[in-house]
Amino acid sequence: MQRTAIQIAGLIWTLVYGSIIVWIYATEPRSFKDVATNSQVAAGTYEINQEKFNNGLALFRRDQFRAARDEWTSADPAQRDARTQFYLAYACYREGWGRVYYDDQLFKQGLEAVNRAINLAPNGSLTVDDPDLQMHTAAELKAELEQGTERNWKDLNPLKLFRQRK
Amino acid sequence: MKRYAERNRALLHFIVVPTLLLTVALLGGLRIDAPTKQFIFIAPPLVTLVMAILLGLLFVRAGAIDLRSWLAIDQPALTNLAHLLTLIALVFASAQAFNSVLPESGLLHWMFSFFFLWTLWTNQFSSFDPRRLLRSIMVLFGTAFVLKHLLAAGLYAPEGGLLRRLVSTLLQGIAIDVPAFAPVTGYISFFALVLYVVALLLIAPAPAPPPASEVNQIAVREDALPE
Repeated sequence: MQRTAIQIAGLIWTLVYGSIIVWIYATEPRSFKDVATNSQVAAGTYEINQEKFNNGLALFRRDQFRAARDEWTSADPAQRDARTQFYLAYACYREGWGRVYYDDQLFKQGLEAVNRAINLAPNGSLTVDDPDLQMHTAAELKAELEQGTERNWKDLNPLKLFRQRK
Repeated sequence: MKRYAERNRALLHFIVVPTLLLTVALLGGLRIDAPTKQFIFIAPPLVTLVMAILLGLLFVRAGAIDLRSWLAIDQPALTNLAHLLTLIALVFASAQAFNSVLPESGLLHWMFSFFFLWTLWTNQFSSFDPRRLLRSIMVLFGTAFVLKHLLAAGLYAPEGGLLRRLVSTLLQGIAIDVPAFAPVTGYISFFALVLYVVALLLIAPAPAPPPASEVNQIAVREDALPE
């Protein structure tokens, strides 16, 4: 009887431990802090740091985009919050936007972030009601970022100098 | 006294051995990045899985694992399932043990892989007993550990001395790509290999049969069944 109990305990333990190892190799945490964050995501208890998010928003509104991105990156280390990823993408757009040319690197980062936001949003559609923004949906922002990374003859149009940042 | 022995044997067989093997599977692919001190988990490359299968075959051929005793039709399903999980853990632990002593990329990776495969393949046709096989495995892993974590890591360390310059000059033009890992990676690999050898020492070729009392109980229950 005792042997059977040990067998069952061993079986369960082996399955649980094996699953943990597979999960670790799948998520590839970089530190023990990452392990904790990933565990929260897996358990469904993950929440962003609201204080850092608000700090990022304040910085964003003062046009300090790089600092805002840093705040939002640390507010959402697991990149699991659609709204934070949307704002991150927006910060990349605003910082990378230029009257003469766009910063390709920032636009690519923005595109990655907005794609994450779309993937995380329920039904793939995300709307952010923020009066300070001119684009309220992730789809609009994505289209704008995609246009910025494409190269075509319209780029040579001198009237583009009069366009406005959104 | 006998009850304690049986209980301890069961604990060892069903809990300690799988735990040791799975810990090897966890640590075998763990590296620590030198500049950032961050974890890097390297999943076992395909070649290490091939090596693990070859090593598994070697265990069976040498009698270190008697498959017919581990998985038998006249054993309870629970026991067979527990044994199957232990054997799977052994294969993955072997793969990760190879992974921990195999250089990650470049010419050295392929050289080490070739020598491992060559050794394992030629050993398939040698006569082994479990003890000799274990000694051979210890030497194989020990040599690879010394070559990777002491020699190669020393040669390509940023603060390498005359030997490093000499080898760099000799092998100029050959892509020997050794990633920079923190020295603690060597300690992790050493610990994983020690655990692997301990687990191999603890694995019995044929698991002990269930105690007579349990067998009697099963027999009595079978008798009580209506025909």
